[in-house]
Amino acid sequence: MSHRTAGSSTRGRLLLTGKHLLLLGLSALMLFPLVLTVSTALKTGNDVKVNPFGLFSSFSTENVEKAWTVGDFGSYVVNSFLLSVPSTLLVVVLSTMAGYAFARLPFPGRSLLFYLVVLGLLVPFFTYMIPLYFQLRSMGLLDSLLGVNLVLASTGLSFGTFFMRAFFSDLPVELDQAARMDGASEWQIFLKVILPLVSSGIGALAVFTFLQNWNNFLVPLLYIPSGEHRPLTTGLYLFLGGRSIDIGPLAAGTLITILPVVVLFVAMQKQVTQGFLSGAIKG
Amino acid sequence: MVAPLVAMVAVFLLLPMASAVYYVFVDFNGFDPTPPWIGLSNFTELAQDPDVWAAFKNNVIWIVIGTSSPIVFGLGLAVLVWNVRRASVLYRIAFFLPFVLPQVAVGVVWGWIYEPSRGWLNRVLETVGLGSLAKGWLGDPDTALYAVLGTAIWATVGFVFIIFLSALRNVDIDLVDAARLDGANGFQRLRHIILPQIMPVFLMVTTITLLGGFSVFDIIFVMTGGGPAGATEVLGTYAYSSAFQLNRISYGTTLALVITVISIPFAVWMNRLQRKLSLQGMGA
Repeated sequence: MSHRTAGSSTRGRLLLTGKHLLLLGLSALMLFPLVLTVSTALKTGNDVKVNPFGLFSSFSTENVEKAWTVGDFGSYVVNSFLLSVPSTLLVVVLSTMAGYAFARLPFPGRSLLFYLVVLGLLVPFFTYMIPLYFQLRSMGLLDSLLGVNLVLASTGLSFGTFFMRAFFSDLPVELDQAARMDGASEWQIFLKVILPLVSSGIGALAVFTFLQNWNNFLVPLLYIPSGEHRPLTTGLYLFLGGRSIDIGPLAAGTLITILPVVVLFVAMQKQVTQGFLSGAIKG
Repeated sequence: MVAPLVAMVAVFLLLPMASAVYYVFVDFNGFDPTPPWIGLSNFTELAQDPDVWAAFKNNVIWIVIGTSSPIVFGLGLAVLVWNVRRASVLYRIAFFLPFVLPQVAVGVVWGWIYEPSRGWLNRVLETVGLGSLAKGWLGDPDTALYAVLGTAIWATVGFVFIIFLSALRNVDIDLVDAARLDGANGFQRLRHIILPQIMPVFLMVTTITLLGGFSVFDIIFVMTGGGPAGATEVLGTYAYSSAFQLNRISYGTTLALVITVISIPFAVWMNRLQRKLSLQGMGA
């Protein structure tokens, strides 16, 4: 690369500029639906009626206010957090503990148990979602925050365990041996020696799982039939099928639904992509 | 340390999976605590149900187009961004963002783009003089499936792109340069130098998108609900409506189980191929 003649480097620079222009154009195209959402969400009510999809032709927050209050998106946001945060914590804690055990602690039945857990990666949620509905009903967990959190967590556990196990397996065996020589207990080894070394993995898993749970549509659709504790995803769907489709507040509701995702993704882009990548490649 | 995990998996994964297998052989309506045993009737009915075959056909279309297009576009984008240093984070964010958005929101916004009178797709077509092609994309049975697929492709490209981009980082750039000096054109370099090196990743991406195609649900459910006139019905939406709208719990469960059963051989086959290639790669 460094031994190019002057002529070819000018050509190279031109090519690179062209490439950037093409990539910028494609990026704009990819982001267009988001721009459209923001534009429609922030229009005045009258402008929405005349020209709902014209870009940034007026500005007002009335749609956002209407979605938040009349459209109930204010409580959907709270419910989305109440459904995503505990389930994510559960996935992270349980998968980290189990991933450690599966990777580094020999115990009877280890590989059989691991296969059972990883079965969840192979069998789509689809397969058992219908029986699970009746199971939750008989356990009294339908329409409850507890039940839906448990289900959301269980859909992430197989991946989480698999993912964390890979991190623990990569650490050298000498680590725990040295700590054990120093007289540390198993829990001390886990908490003080090993855990800090996999913190990047834990971070990636946490962000990834949170996004999955926040975005989950089918679980609240099925297991919150009454609508109490309804999160943003099914709330938005309900609003879409509502009496008269009011595009302004619908756009505002869409914006409220995706905003946390966009912020989290842009802020923690590395962790999110790392989560997807290592998950995919190690699988 | 594994006890809480095992308990969760047993109650919320293994138990409902076992019930699914039981449901398939009975006729459960949602209330009867002792549903009648009907053997294989659910399967025979399923095999003769023309709606199942129509839905299956749509799944096949979805799998073929919904797997191949993101791979072609994603690979193209990854090759474009590959040796770009400046602003590559920006491109990564722009291309990957659609993949992390909730599909309900994606469906809502794309519904506007496809809107017959004021949607952007028709407006753009009119501007470039192709106004005769304008239509209600989601309302026309001939185009609805492809319109939803278009949205799904938009959402999946970034995932494929990110994976290929990271795989390309491991590709030996000297080999590519050597091939360039030997006069290989861009396509030849891609075909003979780059692709063989990222083959395992290529197969992995194919497996993931392909398997996703069997259980596609959210985006179709939100955008068309399986309509118009069943034009976008897939096995997933059909299983859902059988169980939760028509109260045919056992029939819906059977459908869902069949989706899994037909997708497993693909998963195993792809996985084998991938292993084989990785081993060859190591040997070389």
